[in-house]
Amino acid sequence: MNSSQFDTQLPDEIAHLKHDVAPKRDLWPGIELAISRQNSEKPHLNRMLEHVKQWFFAPQMSIAMGVAVTGLLLVVANNQQIEPQKSSGLVSQLTAQHLQQKNILLASFERQPALTVNWQQQIEELDQAAEAIRKALEHEPDNLALLKMLQQVYQQQIELIEVVHAPKWTQI
Amino acid sequence: MNTQTDTNNLVTIHTANDAEAVLIDLVKQGDTSAYRRLYEQYVGKVYALCVRLSADESLAEDAVQEVFVQVWKNIHHYRGDSKFSTWLFSMTSNVTISQLRKQKSWWRKLIDIEDEKVPEIPSDHAHNPHDHQGERLDVCLRRLPEKARIVFVLYALQSYRHEDIAQITGMAVGSSKAQLHRAKQLLKEWMSDE
Repeated sequence: MNSSQFDTQLPDEIAHLKHDVAPKRDLWPGIELAISRQNSEKPHLNRMLEHVKQWFFAPQMSIAMGVAVTGLLLVVANNQQIEPQKSSGLVSQLTAQHLQQKNILLASFERQPALTVNWQQQIEELDQAAEAIRKALEHEPDNLALLKMLQQVYQQQIELIEVVHAPKWTQI
Repeated sequence: MNTQTDTNNLVTIHTANDAEAVLIDLVKQGDTSAYRRLYEQYVGKVYALCVRLSADESLAEDAVQEVFVQVWKNIHHYRGDSKFSTWLFSMTSNVTISQLRKQKSWWRKLIDIEDEKVPEIPSDHAHNPHDHQGERLDVCLRRLPEKARIVFVLYALQSYRHEDIAQITGMAVGSSKAQLHRAKQLLKEWMSDE
């Protein structure tokens, strides 16, 4: 066979290759076992993270991100590498500080009418998101991304309380 | 008449694609029975690619299992921008090559001396002049040295570009071209030898 014969014959040979070749043994049971194990390992964690993701991609939440990230970078700069034993303490510390700040803020706006009616529901939903992240952090205490998310959720709550009670009107 | 046949074919293709999209959606929701149907639809094609890349039935079977576990894990990354089969075969190539790398022989084959050898083939896979088209090529593919075989399969059978092959295999684009040339030369030699 010369070169040109081969060049014309090769595509024909390729076209005649079998597209489907059955493996000699049934491979499904092994796959099924692997995926069922995988499903039972972290379903709860995945659901929690999905819940958190919904929050983070909600358009109304994106505004607060810039401020949150700045704050977070300061924290990260101070904690270049968070040790696992320290991270659970960091979560408690963050939560305590946030609760204190939130309560002070709510007290200061107690007599002031809110601009929206459902702000408390939004606060509650952010609480749920924060709770989901805290639970996820119990499984992965040294997950820096989760810590960042927690801090962002807290920051969003503060922003929300401020925005609905003391809007900053644009001056023309 | 032909127009009618074409229309019928188009309708069939659309229906098949729609059915597959529904299956994929169900899989994304964690439906294992839908995943089994998707598996049954593709296992033969995935295995064919694995076995052609690896020339090793046992390794190919392991790779198929790994591919379908990875697909289950990563199905949410599939957005439908390309055909599902394209995404699946890309994952298949990556997993199979990764499995080959894990084998000790892969590292040995990184040394060029080893790669010069053309492996012997078992007698039950020996070239038979009465083999049909396609079967004959399959037998010859098994004889190709590993790198030449991988490049040939990805380039000629899967229509990958040399740049893509270089990325998957970690070899230079020039090496990919050289390996393809080598594969073709060997195939020509063997397929002429009847």
